[in-house]
Amino acid sequence: MTQAFKLHRALLQDRSLSLSPTEIGLIKRITSPILSLCLFFTLLFQQIVQSVEKVGLLFSKDYVKPTEIDGKKKWKGEGTTPNLESIVIGRCYEYIRIVNPSIGEKNCTEIWEAFKKAFINKDPCNILPSDYELFINLALHTIPPNKSLFWENNHLLVTSYSDRTRRYMPLCDTLIGSFGDFLNWCGQANDTGFNYDSCPNTEECENNAVESFWKIASITYAKQSSGVIYVMLNGSAIGGAYPVKGFFADYEVPNFQKDRISRIEIWVMDDIGGPDLDSCGRGSVQILEERLKTMGYDITCIDNYKSVLLLKCLDYLNHSDCSIVSSAPSTQRGLVSPHRGGSWSRLIYTIFVAFVFEICFNPLN
Amino acid sequence: MVLIVTIVAVLAAVLLANGTKETSMQLLQWKGTGTTKNLQEVILGRCYNYITTVNPELRDKDCQKIWETMQKAFIYKNPCNITTEDYQLLLDLASHPIPCNKSLFWSKTNDLVHRYTKTNHSFLTLEDTLLGYMADGVSWCGNPSSPGINYESCPKWSECESNPTSVYWKMASKMFAEAACGVVQVMLNGSIEAGAFRSNSIFGSVEIFNLDPDKVSAVQIWLMQNIGGPASESCTGHSITRLKSILEERNLRVSCEDNYRPVQLLQCASDPDHADCRLCTNSVQ
Repeated sequence: MTQAFKLHRALLQDRSLSLSPTEIGLIKRITSPILSLCLFFTLLFQQIVQSVEKVGLLFSKDYVKPTEIDGKKKWKGEGTTPNLESIVIGRCYEYIRIVNPSIGEKNCTEIWEAFKKAFINKDPCNILPSDYELFINLALHTIPPNKSLFWENNHLLVTSYSDRTRRYMPLCDTLIGSFGDFLNWCGQANDTGFNYDSCPNTEECENNAVESFWKIASITYAKQSSGVIYVMLNGSAIGGAYPVKGFFADYEVPNFQKDRISRIEIWVMDDIGGPDLDSCGRGSVQILEERLKTMGYDITCIDNYKSVLLLKCLDYLNHSDCSIVSSAPSTQRGLVSPHRGGSWSRLIYTIFVAFVFEICFNPLN
Repeated sequence: MVLIVTIVAVLAAVLLANGTKETSMQLLQWKGTGTTKNLQEVILGRCYNYITTVNPELRDKDCQKIWETMQKAFIYKNPCNITTEDYQLLLDLASHPIPCNKSLFWSKTNDLVHRYTKTNHSFLTLEDTLLGYMADGVSWCGNPSSPGINYESCPKWSECESNPTSVYWKMASKMFAEAACGVVQVMLNGSIEAGAFRSNSIFGSVEIFNLDPDKVSAVQIWLMQNIGGPASESCTGHSITRLKSILEERNLRVSCEDNYRPVQLLQCASDPDHADCRLCTNSVQ
């Protein structure tokens, strides 16, 4: 084989090998098919391996349509949370059976299907809040008055303080919120599966599955809130305690039901020992207070509301005024994107190519 | 005559058959709450939630298998006949190591201790481990006849000790105690009349006897009283002295603190204006 190649190459380059034209022609006719055959088999094997990989994956429980292009992820955000369906349905039943059975009977499978319909088999950059309407209607339940707790920039603190509906019922402690809290998801066009590799983040496109979900969830939550409304802001947040462009400002405040709200109480919590960048009557908090007053609400504002402060001080007792920079754990644990590349097939392919290379194109001889 | 006998025999057979059918369809009646509805979905969801968001180091656990093993332990069985062997396979699948100096035991302080661990991730109770997380607040028991699970009622501990949930918690508590290392903590209730430490509690009957003195260096007791009292017991109290002597006999160093301050602050979050809840901070309203 190796000799054949050398001969062929030499002939093609017309180096003189002292052969007659007929002999040359004959040798060409023999060696060229051999080379073509080598190439043919190499390509054939590659195709076979790829098909086997696809078929194998199809039958595997974890089939995922390849979403990588040349090894690069399609989107910049993290992919869908693994086992999303089990987690969400489990949370749904847990909510109606254990956390808040007063909301009565719900069909969690039906709610899950409605949730999926909003974004499955669609362009992941074209999911609108209204796509979740059916889901919202099925998962809706009343929120007791005086229990609504809105917030910006203190997710974990709110979760601890609310104590799973026992003190307050923030959005994450409602059935709707439990579908999305700390989870991530997106689909793909022309595919009925989730994209576990990557999902578009807000910078790539605003109308992504998760963003639209929280928009409609926030709108709904605000519409259902009544009695005394509580708002927890972070007085140490860069950019202001009240982000003038954020979920609270854009989707919640405009949807307050004035006739059902008695008053609004704002708590501005500074990080323990952290900078006091904003507080009641100052900065962005003042903007919020003005806005709500103009809308006709009765407003109270408290700096470092004691009850919440006590909770914050739990971790920083050693300091006399509990002052240490907050070391809140990351809000989203690193998710695993399972490696779906056919590494085994690539390995075999590489070995085969090396083998073929050795046979057909041995450079050392 | 023969005809009459035949008819009687047939009737008797039919009646008996019906009778046995009824017995085999019988759902045993108990005094406690029945199995939580949608138990499978709840347990599976919690398992996946735990390995995905709470403790991602366990991401390779097989939740489906864990559920199946758990179900096999009690389904179609008489719920007064459960043994720890029934749960052995589940224990092997779902147990995981606990970091040292983090184990937090408790007795009669359910709400407070779990509020504490949800806020302060330096400590772990049994209910913060996979086995405890899945089963917390949930009840289950089997029934010898179809469908094998009893959703109506389950035996209380007073009816029979070897019921599925009691045995589960006993086994899980034993495992939790055996896995503890370094300094361990225990939160007890100093406001109950019957005494902060009771020998018939799971802590008093299972956990303290399964702490390994070669792994555990010391036991710290936090004796918490309700804000505003009553102060039924303190570190010098009768039951605490008894607990100390049991632990010391097992070669474990013991210390005790009345109203451990961080936990007390947590209690204060519900009653911030109480005199016991003063904070030395200049940013308090």
